[in-house]
Amino acid sequence: MAEGSGLRRAATWDRWSGALFVAPYCAFFVLMLVIPLGLGIHLAMTRGDLFGIDEFVGFDNFARLFADPVFLRTVWNTIYFVLLTVPAMTLTGLALALVLNHTSRWAAILRAIFFASTVLSVTVVALIWRLVLIPEGGLAGVVARAIGEQPIAFLSEQALAMPAVAVTTIWWGLGLPMVLFLAALQQIPRDLYEAAALDRASKMRMLFSITLPSIRRTIALVLVIEIILQFQLFGQAHLMTGGGPNNSTRPIVLFIYQTGWKQWQLGYAAAAAQVLFVMIALAAMAQYYITSRKDKA
Amino acid sequence: MNGVRLSRVSKRFGDVPVIDTLSLEIDSGEFVVFLGPSGCGKSTLLRMIAGLESLDEGEILVDGMRVDLLPPGARNVAMVFQQYALYPHMTVRENLVFGLRNARVAADEIERRIEAAAKRLEITELLGRRPGQLSGGQRQRAAIARAIVKKPALFLFDEPLSNLDAALRARTRIELAELHQQLGTTMIFVTHDQVEAMTLASRIVVMNSRRIEQIGTPMEIYRRPATRFVAGFVGTPRINLVPVQVHEADGMALATLPGGATIKTGVAFSSLPSEPNMTLGLRAEVVRIAESANRNAGGTARVVERLGDRTLVHVALPDGTLLTAEDRGNSTVQAGQSVGLNVDGSAAHFFAADGTGYHSEAR
Amino acid sequence: MSLAAVHKPPRTAIVLVTLAAVFMLAPMLWVLILSFKDNTALMADTGSAFLPPWTIANYRSIVGEGQVFTWLMNSVIVSLAMTAGVLMLSSLAAYGFARLEFPGRKLLFVIVLFGLAIPEQAVIIGRHQMFSAASLHNTYAALVLPGLSMPFGVFLMTQYFRAIPKEIDEAALLDGASRLRIFWRILLPLTIPAQATLGIFTFFHAWNDYWWPLISATNRDMVTLTVGIAATQVNFAQSEGLGFLMAQAVFAGVPTLLVYLVFQKYIVRAVAGAAGQ
Repeated sequence: MAEGSGLRRAATWDRWSGALFVAPYCAFFVLMLVIPLGLGIHLAMTRGDLFGIDEFVGFDNFARLFADPVFLRTVWNTIYFVLLTVPAMTLTGLALALVLNHTSRWAAILRAIFFASTVLSVTVVALIWRLVLIPEGGLAGVVARAIGEQPIAFLSEQALAMPAVAVTTIWWGLGLPMVLFLAALQQIPRDLYEAAALDRASKMRMLFSITLPSIRRTIALVLVIEIILQFQLFGQAHLMTGGGPNNSTRPIVLFIYQTGWKQWQLGYAAAAAQVLFVMIALAAMAQYYITSRKDKA
Repeated sequence: MNGVRLSRVSKRFGDVPVIDTLSLEIDSGEFVVFLGPSGCGKSTLLRMIAGLESLDEGEILVDGMRVDLLPPGARNVAMVFQQYALYPHMTVRENLVFGLRNARVAADEIERRIEAAAKRLEITELLGRRPGQLSGGQRQRAAIARAIVKKPALFLFDEPLSNLDAALRARTRIELAELHQQLGTTMIFVTHDQVEAMTLASRIVVMNSRRIEQIGTPMEIYRRPATRFVAGFVGTPRINLVPVQVHEADGMALATLPGGATIKTGVAFSSLPSEPNMTLGLRAEVVRIAESANRNAGGTARVVERLGDRTLVHVALPDGTLLTAEDRGNSTVQAGQSVGLNVDGSAAHFFAADGTGYHSEAR
Repeated sequence: MSLAAVHKPPRTAIVLVTLAAVFMLAPMLWVLILSFKDNTALMADTGSAFLPPWTIANYRSIVGEGQVFTWLMNSVIVSLAMTAGVLMLSSLAAYGFARLEFPGRKLLFVIVLFGLAIPEQAVIIGRHQMFSAASLHNTYAALVLPGLSMPFGVFLMTQYFRAIPKEIDEAALLDGASRLRIFWRILLPLTIPAQATLGIFTFFHAWNDYWWPLISATNRDMVTLTVGIAATQVNFAQSEGLGFLMAQAVFAGVPTLLVYLVFQKYIVRAVAGAAGQ
């Protein structure tokens, strides 16, 4: 009957009209995330170059990666870098948040200063620090001379280059953990502290028994975010050291970039990218698992 | 017919029936209250009438027009929400205009209606303000104004008074009653507060666990509660429900209270099911503190509550069962005192094990 | 929640923090000062930075080299376009996910959430291939379109839409508004704080993006400011001089710092709120 089919059509429209709102975004999601991901995975299993992808080689690229001393070096470099930066940034960010959790003017100004560097792009940061680290004219050199020491060419010393990149990164990204911890600290209910004060707890006690446990989840969150971020180190290394000296500062992403766009071995680069993806996911999951275990304990 | 008719309406959430083949007729101009505890289905029923929930089976008609397949905006129905749901970023005036513009009402007509509604609800000076700048009571009146300007065939109220403080609630109840008198539109009001139901309704639909327990006028609900649930839900203080033994005496049912006292009731013995144990329902006002001459039961006063116009005495019968009794406002009963009770058996109710209520014919 | 002065921190903490602040500011200030010195003077001795004479010759050189303004304009266009695009797509999708029913909605949302876990590296090669095949490199489209797939935007806006009481939608339905009308006139205005958060976040993300513009905009005229500045650093040692480089750093950094100072409150709220989700 006409009325029946009209009602049925209306019902179908009602059922699916909501999807129209979601469709435009989903189109981009598929186009710009899902398909490229698939392409990347497919590519990772081919051997080809600029002039045409062809040979399907299965897991050969991966085997090659794990036998490639340059790649293995980059994996180590990246892990080393993460170890240098993440604990330092997290601890410093937490310390700053604890100290600056105040309504006073100076606290506000200091907070602004610590976060300012975070809004700069990697190219500006790299440029600034290259200029700072110039042996004979950079700020570091000037300061060294002023205290009677010899200036050191940080970026040219194999043992010091990565730490220098790490310091640059810490300088750059310290604001983020600080802000996240500040937000978490402000959520702690005042009465916890008031009750503790009535229990005559010392400041140290309050810190360890109230503050830190209350922001447990945020600490885990910050660690996960920072691990994910620093695993993806690229710009600073690319611009400050180019991966040298002697591959000591080459991170995985720089390896991907150079393999893919300088050597045009796209398959190989794609394989490395997938390995990085898995590493990040594993590290984040492991870290999350560990801290949530401690949570339940 | 005019008014609202629900015909065998059902709704399920998955496999769980939320409303089960419910039928109800509401006359045009009535003020009907859906009363019940939370989770009983009263809000769901209201929202189904509004179009905010779908039906799985059945029909709903408003003024003769079938609405259950229409979108909410096309049903000629207006609703006042519990949290008022005013659009926070618009002024009160814009809130009122929004629905009318959607309905393509002419601009001068819109102005007229807004002016009239604002005057009736005394919010004319508030029209330029945002909801965030209004007090709770003002917001509620704005929400009612928004409903009025639509000139609907049916008003729906979803617990609109529960967010107001006690004094404001009492005042607003009276204003709502006046509003109904002035407008004469059919109104359906949902609440869990039996005082609101009793004072506002022309008829009450008492609901429990997604079933209708009773439909009736406030007095019918009060004096002839169809089920034990209704008896217990309506009336303050809560009705006394005591397990009793039932025997016959002159064709009438004779109830033996725990502790031994016997009460002659006005309920015909033959009308009761043949269960040995039934529950006797006695409202506090029919259990009065009495002198020895008039008493037919007695006990010890445990707690005395002085309300000013009356006194509630919680009395323990010899076996420990508590009864709530009433006395005059200036009663001299003290806690711990031994007191006599006069129980008016003619006002007693019996409730069977399945909850069905039995009353004396005279009520 | 406002900041609570639980207790005043110990003296040593304040001193350490102030020292740390000096560490943060020193590089920026140093670069700033040096940018106002003549190149040859600096070559001789950077210690002369703190003494006059100062000059704006370096900035004149930057301005004179026309390309920098092209880069600046590219950055502005790309950042604004991406921000507008993300805000629109994310809001529409969030409304669908938060308020509307359609088959597969829950599953689809979970899939989008999984997208949050995908790092740039896993997709960048595939994207590069796609745009190469479509001959779309060196266009604004190439610079803007990939960023629109950012799951974070949908995630943030969906949380925000969900937080608006459903009764507002219902009141609007009873007012006869269509779903689209409800979205546009009722709900969207109520999400302005979240729009600000997401907008700022996207703007900075687009402005500071390095890798993708590097490999997609190979034409010097299409490059964004961020990449352009990097390119001119290449021959650092033999470059046009320290002062000039300093001026470049300042020039590239000042826009973002200015935006930061102006929108400071929103930015901090954006970051904290975003990660908190």
